[in-house]
Amino acid sequence: MKNLLENPILVLMVRLFIGLLFIVSSMEKIVDPASFAGSIADYKLLPIWSTAFLATVLPWIELICGFSVLFGVLTRGGSLVLSSMLVVFTAAVVIALFRGLDISCGCFTQDPAAAKIGWLKVLQNSTLIVSSLFLYFSNTESFTLLQYLQKPDSHAEESR
Amino acid sequence: MTRLSQALREAGVLIVVAAALGFIYTAATEKGLFARAPRSKTIPRTAAETPAMISFAEARTMYESGSATFVDARHEFDFKLGHIKGAINVPLAEYELKKSALDGTAKDHLIVAYCDGAGCNSSIELSVKMMKDGFTNVRIFFGGWREWNDAGLPTGKLP
Repeated sequence: MKNLLENPILVLMVRLFIGLLFIVSSMEKIVDPASFAGSIADYKLLPIWSTAFLATVLPWIELICGFSVLFGVLTRGGSLVLSSMLVVFTAAVVIALFRGLDISCGCFTQDPAAAKIGWLKVLQNSTLIVSSLFLYFSNTESFTLLQYLQKPDSHAEESR
Repeated sequence: MTRLSQALREAGVLIVVAAALGFIYTAATEKGLFARAPRSKTIPRTAAETPAMISFAEARTMYESGSATFVDARHEFDFKLGHIKGAINVPLAEYELKKSALDGTAKDHLIVAYCDGAGCNSSIELSVKMMKDGFTNVRIFFGGWREWNDAGLPTGKLP
């Protein structure tokens, strides 16, 4: 397991996957926060006044943390935020399923014709939670923006 | 610094940056939280413009007497999953495209519009559009699909 956490290629792949996934999924919500607020309200877990606030902030957290993980800047914080959010989202889906709500997920698209929530969603999200926790515990700085920013400096010092 | 405290600090930075960007963007584009006029305000409030709302009991009486045509304002997908039996689907979002479904209905015929239930406004908006198109006898069953289905009244499904 320790080897996997330090495997630069594997960590890079997971970072690309999680990062791009969250960046893409945030786009539609950013463009149409009103629909996203509606999706949140459909879960009937939160008071209506809070949904507009969450719809303003949550997609941007997804976007910024997506970029953080993708570029390897503040990866640990980014992956912590993303895994916490995934846990909360998944819990919301599970609660909705137990209450028998027939609603769209509001995860990637706000189209009401999109697939409704189901146990498959819970399974998908669990995979994502494992992936983002993997990033949280990973131990490598290979292929990160930070590493590339530091490289030219060290070259410069060497050439002096 | 432990891994967790470092991560929490980073998470704080990311969340603050994201929240700031979110508020700036939505405020600048006047979307969502900062929308100038909430959607519900676009619905006319005067009695002359808004068709009368009817209760579940009234809707049921109208249905059972066969005097009314029920019009479903929801998306086609939801309509197919289940609707009031015999209802016509005219999704609000595609009103101009789908309003031909009402061609065979007399302008003074009793029309009952409904959508998902309390919490959706599309039945109101659809009624306003239908009235603008000359239908004079429009009612809104605000309890909608949910109230109807929960009461176990006749429903239909499409493949």
